[in-house]
Amino acid sequence: MTEARLTPVQRARQAERGRRFRQPAPYLRLACLVLAALVPLVVPSFQVLDLAAKIAIFAALVASYDVVLGYTGIVSFGHAMFFGFGAYAVALSLGKFGAPTYGHLAAGFLAGVALSATISVLIGAFSLRVKAIFFAMITLAFAEFALILAVQLTHITGGEDGLSPTLPGIFAVSYEGGRLGGIPVTGRLVTYYFILAICLVLFVVMARFIHSPLGRTLQAIRDNELRAEALGFRTFVFQIASSSFGSVVATVLGGCYVMWVRYANPESVLGIHVMLDLLLMVIIGGIGTLYGGIIGATFLLTSQTLLPHLRTLAASVFAGSMVMQRMTERWLLYFGILFILMVFFFPKGVIGTVRDALARRAPSPSSSPPHPDPPARGGCPTR
Amino acid sequence: MRRAAPILAAAALFVLPLAFMDARTYVTLTVAGLAMGMLIFLVAAGLTLIFGLMDVLNFAHGAVFSWGAYVGFSVALLLNQRWGWATAPSVTLNVLLLAAAILAAMVVAVGLGILLERVIVRPVYGRHMFQILITLGATIVIEELIRMIWGPNDQVMPVPLTFQGSWDIADVIVLRFPVVAIVLGVLVYLGITLLLTRTRVGLIVRAGVENREMIQALGHNIYRYFTRVFAAGSALAALGGVMWAMFSQSVRPAMGGEQLIFAFIVVIIGGLGSVTGSLLGALIVGLSYNYVAFLVPKAAIGINMAIMVLILLLRPTGLFGSGK
Repeated sequence: MTEARLTPVQRARQAERGRRFRQPAPYLRLACLVLAALVPLVVPSFQVLDLAAKIAIFAALVASYDVVLGYTGIVSFGHAMFFGFGAYAVALSLGKFGAPTYGHLAAGFLAGVALSATISVLIGAFSLRVKAIFFAMITLAFAEFALILAVQLTHITGGEDGLSPTLPGIFAVSYEGGRLGGIPVTGRLVTYYFILAICLVLFVVMARFIHSPLGRTLQAIRDNELRAEALGFRTFVFQIASSSFGSVVATVLGGCYVMWVRYANPESVLGIHVMLDLLLMVIIGGIGTLYGGIIGATFLLTSQTLLPHLRTLAASVFAGSMVMQRMTERWLLYFGILFILMVFFFPKGVIGTVRDALARRAPSPSSSPPHPDPPARGGCPTR
Repeated sequence: MRRAAPILAAAALFVLPLAFMDARTYVTLTVAGLAMGMLIFLVAAGLTLIFGLMDVLNFAHGAVFSWGAYVGFSVALLLNQRWGWATAPSVTLNVLLLAAAILAAMVVAVGLGILLERVIVRPVYGRHMFQILITLGATIVIEELIRMIWGPNDQVMPVPLTFQGSWDIADVIVLRFPVVAIVLGVLVYLGITLLLTRTRVGLIVRAGVENREMIQALGHNIYRYFTRVFAAGSALAALGGVMWAMFSQSVRPAMGGEQLIFAFIVVIIGGLGSVTGSLLGALIVGLSYNYVAFLVPKAAIGINMAIMVLILLLRPTGLFGSGK
């Protein structure tokens, strides 16, 4: 095919492909991956490994939320619920049907995915038909309902105490696989790399999803729903597809989370706090950037790990002052303020702001937009 | 016939539980359900007006509710500790305590509402996603401020003596406070309706709900009305907060978030932007919650979700929704 006969979209994509490896972004992503893979080899501390695994899981979770929020422009408050579905499905499958096997593990993942897909399609069908804004309200109500169910159905979910499943075979805590190049291979290590691999695969799948024709249609709907409708797209079908896709990814990650912490209770996987954390992470990293989740998750989880230390420090410095003690106890307040300030002044988050700054400094010679991922107007659809 | 269908459906729902319980229990539950519905209505009315006029989904509404409850709690506690207004066997003092608590809560909520509208909501008018995100951020901050000022734990709300206990009417036990709540709810509904249909401000607000641009073109500063409606909605939420605190006899920082979910269900059932719709929706939610909580305790929240889904299936815009 000659240059002249390409459609504008094809030409833009060709330019994009040509530019791909001249930008720092892919190398930074690769560096993140290498860093995560090196953590257990370099730092023998369990705390650090634990943090790294959670960052990997939450980075992918935030990215899956970003597919719904940033690339489709619909606000869901049920994302943590789907994460919880995955967590509970895997925990139940491993814990309730005799000695855990790999089959149980796989069945848990499959059951969670099937449940999430069904429920998210149903919620979408009820709410997105009328108004995208209904989606936010209805997902919030459903998330609350799921939380209450998990607390009340004590004979299944263990209520507030939750479930502590044991993992099969090479993932078990007791597993010892000898030494590999001087590093002892334990169940923890195997689980860590397994989770890292799943997160990597999910990231690749999500990147393919948003760059696929379907993903581009979603971005078109986000930027101007009326226009997309006028072009003949049944917008709400696409929105359902996107929210279901995001939910399924979240479910898989919920399963991974349980594999790592070996514990699922309503507060830790379904609660409103998981949802707030997710929102903070996506705002800090950047809406509509996909990889912003890595920055958001790293920042929030690291600071949450360090906060108790900070609090002890503050308590010893301001000993006796009740007000100061209360002020340091309420760290969520500062995250809330940070959240509002980010939305106001850096609505594109860290990655979006950096991308814009880079774009201003080195304007692209071609006529096509300088960056493939972010929308031309930033991640703020007007709907 | 089309207009009558939702009313008939609500009436059928209203009588149905009689088949499963005796009449006395039914009356007690109905009073409790109506009271709960009226209290949810106070929250939902503000929410639906703000949405109808300003096209803003205010997630911080629940946090204002909590603030109202806590301000009312502080006032009631102060008045009771200093002069014993709640424990005094005097109807006047008891009513005065309630009035003072409500007044203080509403004044604070008006201030909070104006602040929220000016600082938080105004910069993001017309951008739904950012409105939701920013009002959610405001919710975090407001709720954490409550935890900072009043502490994170549940506290007992002093309830005036007059409103405690129950009346015994022909062997039917009718709790007193729910009756007060119902009366107040009816008064507020009438007040809003009169304000909207009989005054000039109401006329402009109703016209603004229909067509915002036209109102601006006719020379009215719509943003001034936005602020007023936002402040009024916040005041209603705070009123609901004080009443709910007395109804449940306790205050908790997270109480607003839970009520907000009820209010959302109500607003969706009733139709976004309709005050009458949210009254009907609130009564449906309050009654069905109480009946089901008595019959099948664990399904109480589920029934509201089921009703919401059913109504969305039948009428995607809600009972009184305009489908705008």
